[in-house]
Amino acid sequence: MPKHNVAVVGIGQTKFRSKRRDVNIPEMIYEAVKMALDDAQMEPKDVDAILIGNMDHFEGINFSEMWCGIDAAPGYLKPVVKIATGGTTGSSLGICGYYNVASGIYKNILVVGWEKLNEGGATTGIITAFDPVWERPSLAGALGPLALMANIYAARYGITSEQAAKVTVKNRSNAANNPFAHIQMPDITLEDVMNSQMISYPLRLHDCCPQSEGACAVIYANEEETKKITDNPAWFKGVSTAHYYTFGCDDLMFDLPTAAIASKKIYKKLGIKDPVKDLDVAEIYEPTSWSELSWTESLGFCGKGEGGKLLDEGITQMTGELPVNPSGGVLSTNPIGATALVRFAEAAIQVMGRGGKRQIPDVETAMGMGFGGSLWTELAILGKDPKPLR
Amino acid sequence: MEGEKMNEELEKKVFRGRIKVPYKHTAGAYVEKFITEIGKNNKIMGVRCPKCSKVFVPPKMICFKCFEKMEEWVEVGNQGVIKGFTVISHSTPVLPLKPPFAYGIITLDGADTDFVHIINESDPKKLKVGMRVEAVFKEKPRKRILDIEYFKLI
Amino acid sequence: MGKKEKEFQIKWKTDLPYRYSIGKLAVKYFEELKNKKIMGSKCPKCDKRYMPPRAVCANCFIEMTVEDMIEFSPKGTLVGFTVVNYPFIDPNTGGMRPFPYGYGIFKLDGADTYMMHFVDETDHTKFKIGQRVEAVFKEKTEGDIYDIPYFRLIKEEEE
Repeated sequence: MPKHNVAVVGIGQTKFRSKRRDVNIPEMIYEAVKMALDDAQMEPKDVDAILIGNMDHFEGINFSEMWCGIDAAPGYLKPVVKIATGGTTGSSLGICGYYNVASGIYKNILVVGWEKLNEGGATTGIITAFDPVWERPSLAGALGPLALMANIYAARYGITSEQAAKVTVKNRSNAANNPFAHIQMPDITLEDVMNSQMISYPLRLHDCCPQSEGACAVIYANEEETKKITDNPAWFKGVSTAHYYTFGCDDLMFDLPTAAIASKKIYKKLGIKDPVKDLDVAEIYEPTSWSELSWTESLGFCGKGEGGKLLDEGITQMTGELPVNPSGGVLSTNPIGATALVRFAEAAIQVMGRGGKRQIPDVETAMGMGFGGSLWTELAILGKDPKPLR
Repeated sequence: MEGEKMNEELEKKVFRGRIKVPYKHTAGAYVEKFITEIGKNNKIMGVRCPKCSKVFVPPKMICFKCFEKMEEWVEVGNQGVIKGFTVISHSTPVLPLKPPFAYGIITLDGADTDFVHIINESDPKKLKVGMRVEAVFKEKPRKRILDIEYFKLI
Repeated sequence: MGKKEKEFQIKWKTDLPYRYSIGKLAVKYFEELKNKKIMGSKCPKCDKRYMPPRAVCANCFIEMTVEDMIEFSPKGTLVGFTVVNYPFIDPNTGGMRPFPYGYGIFKLDGADTYMMHFVDETDHTKFKIGQRVEAVFKEKTEGDIYDIPYFRLIKEEEE
């Protein structure tokens, strides 16, 4: 049991873009950190500790906590720790930040996720993260395996590419309401997606997430600190993590079994019986349009093979019963080390009611999801109070 | 290790891998100005923290102590003092020069931070902490930190 | 970002050689691969048969030894496929990986895990889930990962 309740008290995000040639890495991170500090009205000296995360090989630097934790975040003479767990880097940052405050070790903590993918390359960097003997020679980064997952999923449940394309249309038009989103396409049509170039069958260009540059910074605080900072925080109700096998092929993981395992754990802990009714909004980590269809099933939003139907019925639309990715999701913005932290941050923004044009009305409970590593899932559920639902 | 044979046995169990990746690192406006001034005008520029007045060379955006944004540019001297040094005698493929050569920690006149660079003296007996040095600039600058080719003893 | 973007970038190429210790089971695997045999590891407790071989069964968290290793068939069943059709730099070489290429996930007969590898087909309409595939060995095997450059799709009439 946590010793302390933990709240999100400050959030900063850069405007995500494909390139930020005007700033170097620490300068870019500073923008998000400064915004989070200003948001929480905190002085740099008031921050207890820093967690910072990215994936080293995307930019070819191996010591980001050394220079980014000090020059970009107020980490001078403080504990600074780097976290790198692939796509889940941002959610690992969020969850470790939560643990650090919930345990009573720190009163508050600043967590920062960032990536500057145009300086190297996501596919190339991802390959280096895998086993040199068995996996690197044939691995095509994340999209090749994600294409295989989509292919198996489509064949098993008769999901069509048109249903997948609808996810992109939903998320990229949602992104037009999010000033921080990278790819905003308010007028995108199904035809645009379905006629885009075939990248890796069945994935077309617009079925795939972009690679983005930017940073996200979030400040967490315990109850006592939170009271001093804001009367409108977003509280952690709980977190959940599931890691699976070493190799992506150790089991047939096309439908991300870790999402089912992690979500069952957290729903049970919080007394959530029907996530579609009990959650008001979800920010999930969908690297492809197909992943959103498949993983809404794994997260228990609908039955197996019903992801397409869930979308067709409008449940995951902005006006639906459980809007998914009002921010535009990963299909619109993907600065890998920050991506999952953005999911958690956007869930908090929805709880705080600060989403502007992307705000869902009356959000009490919101879920954020991270996906990465070797098909891992990490979840956080935030709300207006820290209590379980039942 | 029992010599050759043991090595051979071990080598068999080894997979020879390689990570070869091109990168482009955005230097940012501070570094760009610094490098440009060195190459164009043979001037070494720093920035001053508005709070603690410390002058940083090389320049950067944030004073790590005060966490303040720095915007005031100051020219520091092309001369400075050796705070510490070492002479590299062992050759590895990543070095900028053929050993032996010296690396010095140098505080330039007017700067509050130290700066690591090459000193063109390979005899450790001729080097002393506290000695003064002066920057020697490359004739044809390439927009690299090695546009200061080395520091020479005065 | 109203201002003109600064274009000053420093370009470099990381080029790092590594020597990865592969462990006893992989040594055995590559020795046998030279004889055109595919060996996996087997858990003495739950009997799960792993490809690639490794020293610990993740389910049971107990050790699997070289003595426990078993041979798998070079044939298997295709579970999913794609044709990779996008450019990227292969960090193994520093150059572009040639594309398009066929890429499949399949289960070798006798194994409980799956594997992903190149498939010698670049037309996605020629693949069928459930179809049989077979490892293609280099004529002169050398006991390394490139001894099986790709898998081939087995035509129905061959079965």
